[in-house]
Amino acid sequence: MIKKLLLVLPFLLMFVGALMLFERPAYAYADPGSGLLAIQAAGSALVAAGWYLRRKIYALFHRGTAETQSEESQEAPDSQDPPRP
Amino acid sequence: MNDPVEPPSNLRTIPTRKSELVLTFRDPAGQLRLTDFCALRQVWPAAVEETEAFLASPLRKALERSGDLVASRVASAGDHGIVAPGELWLEHPRLDPISYPWEWTTAQWRAAARLTLRIASRAIAAGWTLKDATPLNILFSGSQPVWVDVLSFERRDPRSTVWLAYGQFVRTFLLPLVAERYLGWPLQATLLVRDGYEPAQIYKALPFWRRAHPDLLDVVTLATLAERRRAQPGKSGKPRSVADPELAEHILQKRIARLGKQIRRVAVPQGRSQWSEYAQSASHYQPADIERKKKFVKDVLERVRPARVLDIGANTGTYSLLAAEAGAEVVALDSDAAALEALWRAAKQQKQPITALVANIARPTPAAGWRNREHLSLLDRLSVKFDLVLMLAVIHHLILREQLPLEHIAELAAGLTRRWLVLEWVPPSDPMYQEWLRGRDHLYGHLNEDDLQRAFAPHFDCAAREELENGRILLLLERIPEQGSAAAQAGHPLSEVSRP
Repeated sequence: MIKKLLLVLPFLLMFVGALMLFERPAYAYADPGSGLLAIQAAGSALVAAGWYLRRKIYALFHRGTAETQSEESQEAPDSQDPPRP
Repeated sequence: MNDPVEPPSNLRTIPTRKSELVLTFRDPAGQLRLTDFCALRQVWPAAVEETEAFLASPLRKALERSGDLVASRVASAGDHGIVAPGELWLEHPRLDPISYPWEWTTAQWRAAARLTLRIASRAIAAGWTLKDATPLNILFSGSQPVWVDVLSFERRDPRSTVWLAYGQFVRTFLLPLVAERYLGWPLQATLLVRDGYEPAQIYKALPFWRRAHPDLLDVVTLATLAERRRAQPGKSGKPRSVADPELAEHILQKRIARLGKQIRRVAVPQGRSQWSEYAQSASHYQPADIERKKKFVKDVLERVRPARVLDIGANTGTYSLLAAEAGAEVVALDSDAAALEALWRAAKQQKQPITALVANIARPTPAAGWRNREHLSLLDRLSVKFDLVLMLAVIHHLILREQLPLEHIAELAAGLTRRWLVLEWVPPSDPMYQEWLRGRDHLYGHLNEDDLQRAFAPHFDCAAREELENGRILLLLERIPEQGSAAAQAGHPLSEVSRP
């Protein structure tokens, strides 16, 4: 389990780093705040990490099921998308 | 922003309460004027293209169809003299009276917050976003919250993961509810703040252990800590984008869902209060008297057939509901939020057109905002708008608790009703009167029905009277038209009310 987590962690860190690079200014009518804007950025990173890694996380916790399923459905291995986290 | 008001340049000749001249002044996209019959919104040239795109969008049609968004139609110069060729003006129905968030119960705040999040979510899914998210964009049409600011919508950058109005939603919706729930700050106190509470204000006031609460950790604690860090020079917050539009929408929808969860947990229903159980626990009223009182009010409603009724001291709404069932639009006032919340829930459940306002008629909501002209006072919004005013079991509150002379109460009532007033006289022998007399017999112990009639005589004639077994007296009073007053003029809505 820990090995798997260590496998996932670099991807997560790389993604959060990539998120920081893609910045662009925007103009608000309502004051977006500063702390609350930072909270949005942090929240975005977390949700996005979950989005990208959902298959890996799903596989991490459903390893047995996934293997059984893939053995049972060799012909269409991608036909069942794992649910979003 | 709904209904902020600003008088025209000639302040000396235009009284504040001339609602025809109300307009917004903060929104860079347009301004709003209120007439007696509609709201007129002028869209500034820079915002015309965006507004027309929104008006033509399926989103606008869907929101209007569901009742979440106020109806709009493009106003033409032929309809309104103020509209000049080449300008874009929108006409909306008036939702009257204006109710401000500082007059809502917790349940109304919750309903308004959920409406905002529902609209934000649907807008995001349709490629739009809300550029502001304050309770001032919402009015209540009866018990239903309605979004009234059509200029709040703008097309969103499909890659942006930031909802720019998130901060405003947190400050103006979530944190006032947090402050009410955990700090006991009344929602009425939001009258004093234009843009809600800052996270740091709440952080400072919260007990140490409460700062780690799962519902408050991000919007209060982490936001405050991040604010302190970003207060350093050169640390400016910039919204972020991602390459995948599907991911951007997913992030935004998750954010809306999180806020919805926080609102549900924080905005808990009002508990019981002294007055919320009053109708069930009042020992000075026997069932027979309650039935006679209901019959008296029903008979008046049948006789007068009012289009608009004001129920002062409405409590849990027994008589507001009677009036609504008789076909009237009702405005129900009470200073007890728990009682009024029960009223609002009943009105919502029964789909009755009752607007509930937490307000004390003896200490009415003041005008507020920029130059005291941004938000109207309660009396400016209510004066001379009702065919019938109900003042049931409220006069002893005004005499004994508010220490108001009868003449002043009569003058107030005459300023609210166009014609009819139902008043319940509570004599000094009544247990409730005695409870509040508290040794002041020499001041109030001698008052009787004659004193009441004498005080009201300059403004009203007595049209019907009924004395109950418990000594209380029900009066139907008819306002004496003043010479040259609007009520006396032919064609005034008053003339449409059938005489008994």
